[in-house]
Amino acid sequence: MAKDMTKKKIIIVGGGISGLLATIKVCELGGEVYLFSYCPVKRSHSLCAQGGMNACMDTKGEHDSIYEHFDDTVYGGDFLADQLAVKGMVEAAPKLIKMLDRMGVTFTRTPEGNLDLRNFGGQKNKRTCFSGSTTGQQILYALDEQVRRWEVKGVVHKYEFWEFIKIIKNKEGICRGIVAQSMNTMEIKSFPADTVILATGGPGQVFGRCTASTICNGSAVSAVYQQGAEIANPEFIQIHPTAIPGSDKNRLMSEACRGEGGRVWVYKDGKPWYFLEEMYPAYGNLVPRDVASRAIFKVCVHMGLGINGENRVYLDLSHIDGDYLLRKLGGILEMYSEFVGQDPRKVPMEIFPSVHYSMGGIWVDRFHFTNIPGLMASGECDYQYHGANRLGANSLLSAAYSGTVSGPEAMKWAKSGKNGSELSEAEMEAARAEVQREYDKILQMNGSENAHKLHHEMGDLMYKYVAIERDNNGLDACLVELKKLLKRWDDIGITDRGHVANQEAMFVRQLRNMILYAMAITKGARCRDESRGAHAKIVLENGQRKHDENGDLVFMGRDDKNFMFTTIINYDPKTEEPLVSYREFDHSLIKPRARNYAVAKKE
Amino acid sequence: MAEKVRFIIERQDAPDAKPYNQEFDVDYRPGLNVVASLMEIQKNPVTVDGKKVPPVVWECNCLEKVCGACMMVINGKAQQACCALVDNLKKPIKLQPARTFPVIRDLLIDRSRMFEALKRIQGWIELDGSWENRDAPIQNPYTARTAYEISRCMTCGCCLEACPNVGPQSDFIGPAPTVQAYLFNLHPLGKFDAPKRLNVLMEKGGITSCGNSQNCEAVCPKSIKLTKYLAQLNRDVNIQALKNIFDN
Amino acid sequence: MIHTTFYLRRLHSLCGLLVLGMVLFEHIFTNSMAILGPEGLNTALEMMELIPKPIFIGLEIGGIAIPLLFHGIYGIYIALQAKNNPQNYGYVRNWNFALQRWTAWFLVVFLIWHVGYLRCYVKGVTGTPISFELLQNFFQNPVVVVLYVIGMWAAIFHFCNGISTFCMTWGITKGPRSQKVISCISMLLCAGMCLITLVFMGSYFVY
Repeated sequence: MAKDMTKKKIIIVGGGISGLLATIKVCELGGEVYLFSYCPVKRSHSLCAQGGMNACMDTKGEHDSIYEHFDDTVYGGDFLADQLAVKGMVEAAPKLIKMLDRMGVTFTRTPEGNLDLRNFGGQKNKRTCFSGSTTGQQILYALDEQVRRWEVKGVVHKYEFWEFIKIIKNKEGICRGIVAQSMNTMEIKSFPADTVILATGGPGQVFGRCTASTICNGSAVSAVYQQGAEIANPEFIQIHPTAIPGSDKNRLMSEACRGEGGRVWVYKDGKPWYFLEEMYPAYGNLVPRDVASRAIFKVCVHMGLGINGENRVYLDLSHIDGDYLLRKLGGILEMYSEFVGQDPRKVPMEIFPSVHYSMGGIWVDRFHFTNIPGLMASGECDYQYHGANRLGANSLLSAAYSGTVSGPEAMKWAKSGKNGSELSEAEMEAARAEVQREYDKILQMNGSENAHKLHHEMGDLMYKYVAIERDNNGLDACLVELKKLLKRWDDIGITDRGHVANQEAMFVRQLRNMILYAMAITKGARCRDESRGAHAKIVLENGQRKHDENGDLVFMGRDDKNFMFTTIINYDPKTEEPLVSYREFDHSLIKPRARNYAVAKKE
Repeated sequence: MAEKVRFIIERQDAPDAKPYNQEFDVDYRPGLNVVASLMEIQKNPVTVDGKKVPPVVWECNCLEKVCGACMMVINGKAQQACCALVDNLKKPIKLQPARTFPVIRDLLIDRSRMFEALKRIQGWIELDGSWENRDAPIQNPYTARTAYEISRCMTCGCCLEACPNVGPQSDFIGPAPTVQAYLFNLHPLGKFDAPKRLNVLMEKGGITSCGNSQNCEAVCPKSIKLTKYLAQLNRDVNIQALKNIFDN
Repeated sequence: MIHTTFYLRRLHSLCGLLVLGMVLFEHIFTNSMAILGPEGLNTALEMMELIPKPIFIGLEIGGIAIPLLFHGIYGIYIALQAKNNPQNYGYVRNWNFALQRWTAWFLVVFLIWHVGYLRCYVKGVTGTPISFELLQNFFQNPVVVVLYVIGMWAAIFHFCNGISTFCMTWGITKGPRSQKVISCISMLLCAGMCLITLVFMGSYFVY
């Protein structure tokens, strides 16, 4: 088949919601997409989103407004999100929902046939559109179907089971292609493009056990970071308050449980203590995730009130009608029964907070361009929209919205003539050969360390020092330990030297990227001397954690003067260490105010 | 001494290599599942004979039974490995790749035929475009509930593996893709192309290849009532066949 | 669009249930007359002889031979598409699915023998009319009896299970409950027909 040479070629790495929507947009604008993914795009991590997608539909008679959604998002994000970007997103939200509805997303409906809405954390109005408790899955599938339609038309070329390794820049320093490796045949190849969009999702695996899929390792983000892309706000890692702890992974129990009336409690003095409702009377169980996580952590770790002394609290749905629950939350209740062996409709679930989402990511401007020309980032792998803490059900929104921005912008850039010269065969081969050399070196590794054990250690380290409560001692220690891990990486020995689906060799390469990303997270956290959103830092006094007269830990306050800036992390190729600086962002629309969920929001 | 769980794993080094068995022991812990066990083997890939071997290759993503990646044959039955709790399995636990599909390596299989089948049944809604044009049509909430049930299909391939009529000996596209056609026929916009999809199902390898063994429904990890929708589709294609004859 | 596969499959289903089902019923009905003794069966067989020859042959060819050949040959093609797996998936319906195919294989061989010997050789070539006495003599060999009983049972099961799958294939029974009801009824029918078979086969040893 003769290829249309005039068609603009866009490489999109990652087939989650953001990547797929960008793909659709590019196709509609006449471009040709090369879609790379670790897995069949239909198995991307977007499908783990459960609770829903926020959009001001205002169909519940609550006089909800787009402004309210805007304010909730900015306030929930502790005033660290670019407000113009957020405004664009919340304004587009209802339109996106209608589009997804037309695409066949099986949203849950009211008796009248309208889209049903539910409550979600950090918002007082019903604003969350949902499909049972597998909303992400349903949205992803609908987009996957649309992309398949374009694939049949021959304008989408899927490279599933291909791992993105790095970008290729032309002589002007503009990104004009990528190197990727087949995960089955292990073939390494260069691919040219007019624009490259990364939509590779979050770095959950940096923390080992988390709610993320095993494929969410942030390796691609780290790879471009090492090639000069700036990472922004990586220290803001969302800890989801309600997850089923597990040794292989912490399985998410959607915020929708609380949205549908679930209550969190532990026994105190022999009686149930609904501590969230007591601590935050205005929002109760529906406080934002960072607030809920810290409260649960405090109750379990500092007060020792966890179930049977373990780090668990109850998430209770048993007071709600079983049929209603099945209809609204069927998917996740079934999951709980399956993995824990108890029926959440009858007994309270046992949950504990877990690493869940990264607000930070590759720095992008409002059009999703990174600081490397020709390279864009979209979805969880970018830092836009959520500030210091993400509201529940805003992730599907940001994923979808960013795709609708990055796709058309990628086409605009491709047509602008600013993207410099095409890659020559020699440049492409040079890039390929370099990756091949690195890969061959990994295949020869013959040391004493096991990559998976190292990964496990890194996860423990990150959980210990860079999770819910942080302090500068711990962060310093963590950085030292991470550097040691990086050293030990060189001493990895691999047992698999095969040339078919060598998952071990691929993992070794990803692990190095993960360690470097972990360093960026830790360094960002170390340098931010304040508490904001998901980043909560304890005051040190004489080198010890400071406690107040009640014995409670004293956290640093929010410091708008010094830290209402975006953290920017650059990679120092010489020392391999992260370099921290700060950058202004737009906060012109809503004036910062103190964040307090004990009282109803005052604007 | 921790209790051990014995795994017998059918391995294969390359697509055309000969399969062989290897045995591994994994420390038992409560709630242990098959994926977690394979992860332990990754950390210490040593067989029961003390031989250090390449870690077992398999596919998994979400570990929550929504992505469909980790389907394999466990003790003879196709299922998701992530939610196959060791407690519920007969020991020693035997793991095999789902050989209805081409094996790439060990437990890793190539399921692209399922995605190809989704192309064939035109599993999408013909949208004018992703731009805003009007409100989406209202939907009957009961129909929507049925659609949601079917739409939870995660293309894992359990039903294809269990179906006696799917395999190299036949060209049946399998229960999952067939029933997906019904999903799109239910949507108020997807309905417009229902005759197209039904005609595709009448072709060779379509719904006529269903032999009503009903294994698909029995093994579906999502408990989708596949046989009910297959029967409904049978009804629909029959009517479509009459229309094909008499409307022309 | 002409969907050959579709029409062939549906024809296969129709032909099996309606046409061959009638043949099976006719056989069981006629043969059950043996219960009344030699007279009963011989009278019934004589009644059949009353049908004018051309019509009878026409019926045999059009109503039995052609449908049987089509159902058999296309059935072999269908059976070849299955890898039976009840040992791993031991659900009732899957056993029935496998049995449907195993009985089919058996019936192919059995019917070649049955039609070839009794209809073509005995009746056709030697011109001997079929009678109670002839069959009684034929059944002196216990192997023959066993094979005939199994053959009848196979045909009956194949037919009765066919009723269940027919209802699914034609979209008549959609939900699990209606499918269950039909399958119970057809299995009862199966049991009844098998019993009748046993009784009339036994009558050759009573009289």
